Amino acid sequence: MTIDQIPGLDPVIHAQARLRVTATLAALGADDLITFPRLRQLLDVTAGNLSTHLRKLEDAGYVEITKTHSMRTPVTLIALTTHGRAAFDRYTEALRSLLNP
Amino acid sequence: MASGQPDRRAVRGDTGPDEASVLGASESLALIDDQREQVRRRVDVNPAILFTIWAVAWGIGFGTAYLAYGPDRVIPAWLGPTVPAVLIALGVLGSIGYSMTVGRGVSGPARTAGAMYGWSWTLGFLCLAVVNTAIIRRGLASDDATLLWSASALLLVGVLYLAGGAIWSDRVQYGLGVWTLLCATGAVLAGVPGNFLVLAFAGGGGFLGLALYYGVLNPPARRR
Repeated sequence: MTIDQIPGLDPVIHAQARLRVTATLAALGADDLITFPRLRQLLDVTAGNLSTHLRKLEDAGYVEITKTHSMRTPVTLIALTTHGRAAFDRYTEALRSLLNP
Repeated sequence: MASGQPDRRAVRGDTGPDEASVLGASESLALIDDQREQVRRRVDVNPAILFTIWAVAWGIGFGTAYLAYGPDRVIPAWLGPTVPAVLIALGVLGSIGYSMTVGRGVSGPARTAGAMYGWSWTLGFLCLAVVNTAIIRRGLASDDATLLWSASALLLVGVLYLAGGAIWSDRVQYGLGVWTLLCATGAVLAGVPGNFLVLAFAGGGGFLGLALYYGVLNPPARRR
């Protein structure tokens, strides 16, 4: 059985690229927001790639994306939602129980 | 999608180039730990670095002031006030620069609280410099001016430690605040030039103690 078929592992999170995004957001403080360029720099991915994965996380309600302005410059802020953090915690828990049943 | 089965996409996940790449359980956990460590190293302010900057500024700065004082001085007198002033100015710039670099692009209530606390140090010391200079200008003997500086600087540091300890529920930092307040009193009672030693060892040593506490023990208060 590959990990792909294991029940209980959230398919939105467990693709490697989105797992990196989610884990990074989860490592920030509970109410922290991060700008798109800083998140891109931390993950070292292209803007297009990051946007694609963020959109999927946003569609699942795991991530909240806020577009605002700072001194007339558009700023995109990203944060994990409470729902997203809970899903990530469940996912991590599921991985742990797979390793130590 | 080539399959033309949109429903399947929803079940299997998208089939973009890096969608296919899915890790095993232990690799996934390792990746999560790795990302957490990256954030800790690159985004979170490491208090050990800040306290090391201040341990060096105080330890070397006031140690120099002691060695440059009085007729028995072992180094030129002009180094006495210059070295601590330069090191403390560099310490302020270094702390602000470091904190702003690691924190860039990230905001949130806990970070705002941390930044406000950081600025309390800068504002407190700028104000203290103005107050003390003004009092000394009104005609204070050189030794009294020195005592005023050492006691007031330690008092301010002690109170800021108390505040830091209260904000992050950190008893060690709070305890060091109490110790620093005792040293402020001790510095006045020690007189000149003993006060420089109190500043160098009690003040600088306090910063060094916190640097080691955060750097080596990495207490849970840092991780929120």
